[in-house]
Amino acid sequence: MAIEGLPPFIAAQLNFLLSRSPISIRMEQMWSGSKNDPYIDRFTLLIPFCLDYIKWTIIYNVQNPLTAPDMIFGPDDESFFPFLLSADGEGDASRKSPINFLSNWDSRDPSRLLSLILQLRDLYSAYQRKRVGEVDDERVKFEISTILSREGIEMSMSSGVEKTEEVKFAVPLLDMDINKLVPACPWRHPQKIYLQVIYPIGRKYSYAPSSPFLKLVSTPELRSLFCVEDVKLASWLDGMCMAEYLPSLEETLQMQILEAVTLIGVRRQFIEALAPVFGRPLEADPMFCRKATVLVGNGSFTFLVHFIVPSQFPKQQPTLVLQSSQHFNSQGMPIRSHPLSDYPWSPRWEAPQMAERIFDFLVDESLNFKKYCNEPHLQQH
Amino acid sequence: MGDHVLQKVTIPGPTLASLIHRVFSSPGDSDGLLFGRVSHIIPSSLSDDADLISTTSSASSGYSSTLVATVTGFISPGTTCSFYDSSGHLDISSLRRLVHLSNHPLIGWFSARRRCPLSPSLREFSVSQSLTSKTQFSFPVQNITSSEISPCIFLLLTTPFPDGQTPIHSYDYRAYQFRISSKSFDAKPLGIINIGPAFRGHYSAFCPNSQLPYLSCDYRDSPMKEDSREVSESLNQMKKLLVYQKELDVYVEGYSVGSLNALMGSQATNYVTGLEELYEKMLAKLDSLAKLVENSSAKVLEQENHNIRLRYKVAGLE
Repeated sequence: MAIEGLPPFIAAQLNFLLSRSPISIRMEQMWSGSKNDPYIDRFTLLIPFCLDYIKWTIIYNVQNPLTAPDMIFGPDDESFFPFLLSADGEGDASRKSPINFLSNWDSRDPSRLLSLILQLRDLYSAYQRKRVGEVDDERVKFEISTILSREGIEMSMSSGVEKTEEVKFAVPLLDMDINKLVPACPWRHPQKIYLQVIYPIGRKYSYAPSSPFLKLVSTPELRSLFCVEDVKLASWLDGMCMAEYLPSLEETLQMQILEAVTLIGVRRQFIEALAPVFGRPLEADPMFCRKATVLVGNGSFTFLVHFIVPSQFPKQQPTLVLQSSQHFNSQGMPIRSHPLSDYPWSPRWEAPQMAERIFDFLVDESLNFKKYCNEPHLQQH
Repeated sequence: MGDHVLQKVTIPGPTLASLIHRVFSSPGDSDGLLFGRVSHIIPSSLSDDADLISTTSSASSGYSSTLVATVTGFISPGTTCSFYDSSGHLDISSLRRLVHLSNHPLIGWFSARRRCPLSPSLREFSVSQSLTSKTQFSFPVQNITSSEISPCIFLLLTTPFPDGQTPIHSYDYRAYQFRISSKSFDAKPLGIINIGPAFRGHYSAFCPNSQLPYLSCDYRDSPMKEDSREVSESLNQMKKLLVYQKELDVYVEGYSVGSLNALMGSQATNYVTGLEELYEKMLAKLDSLAKLVENSSAKVLEQENHNIRLRYKVAGLE
């Protein structure tokens, strides 16, 4: 990826960071700090942390290209500086510290920036853990003591003038590699599901501690296989702790994911069953079988049918969108129908029968769609 | 060295203006050292302005005594990392060299960067922490005996982002005191001293200083000579005066102070030409000095541009 205006030494490091990072770091903004020269030498990075993003500004100096970049952290993280500098210890620890890393900067090594950011993120995680550890709340203290051994857990403390204080936990769930379950897996990053637990830090005198806010979050790409929003979370009983809550949740999740993987095969059968009825699909999603497009003709009227197959298929029926090959709107775009998902359907039908019933439905619907396409307000004049 | 809490940082308007001009006329980011003083001020509610009395007294009632830092000068090499490395470790020898260029104590430093958030960076934190913890740069607080403070001032200058292509150039700045006890930046109000009613409080804190040598008075014909026995014992002082006198003689090129006497009275017109000659010589000297400065500035600029091109070459930009 070539980025306009970036000096080569910054471009190499930034490209390395964006393409090789084990976590998906995004670049938000980039600009130049020079008076006259157009060279871009500073940018902001969005770094995922604790199911949220932290925004760090990276300031290179094109006037001093061999020098290490400087960094500005978030406005609430001023006490991260002394924490960082105190990590600049003696002996072995000092050799690994980011401060030492900055003073022995090699601007020709493209991996430098990524290693620096990853090091700083680790330290930031330790810094947030320390802050959460200092919170004077019995429940949080108990949770930390029981849950800390869990690998990959992240926590953060958020406080502000207007916000109420809260402690956020991001608990990685399921000790299984979801990527391995999917045949010919296309994902670059390992897919994970997290439980976000947010404890409001109440005032001392409140009697009943409110139950924490719970939410399932997954890596975005997992959505094409499995939608965490469809999972119904068990209610949190009074006096419960995470160590009690998590095992049964993980058990249900594991079952649902295994089921989601077998559903790929069911969707594949359905798409394959379209071919004898509609002819070979023009396009189909070969990996997760969530989409297929076929070309249909009714007399002289030809149109495309897009099948959008939900992850809950066959319990939920596919959504159909018709797109005319002959009618265009005033912007020159082909006219499309509204999504159709209310037609005769039974999950118990065999795949060929599903295809035939949809075909029957479309024979009637195509007449409606043709009429719709010919309505004067949609037509191009 | 105690951890004194400053009430505010002040800077004369012209000093701030020349600082802003210096840093934002350089091609990239820059930094530099701040010189000045920290004084203990007992605010006075006395004022000549009747309408000011009420406001001043109410404002000062909260502070029985305050510490105020005043920036009187700065040095900027026009680049970053002029006295520290990229991780914020101080380079003591180059810091010393820069500090010796000023007669005033080092009270802190500043950093200027274009189109950046107005909050301190990692490197700036590290530099301020090192600078504040170095006792060798501590200096006495004025008006309090045996009290020292370290160079804890940090001035951050940025331009807003995005600055767009508007015809108005605006600059943001913020002053901080680095507190060694809490290891944090403490934002302080930056007061700009301009001439006007608000300037009155600074009269007491004003200390004139001049590079000109001390002018000795000639007491020989004065009756005061008999009364002062101390003249003989201050031999050292006289020697010093002699050195000053010699320096002064170089400036005036043989034109003695005594001959100024001749400018009074009826014979004055005869001596005016002599004085005019002296002035003309001085002006010619100033003129050639200005030309020298101009030429050397042009050479410095040329060298700076050459350096920038070299650095770009290193970075593979050309």
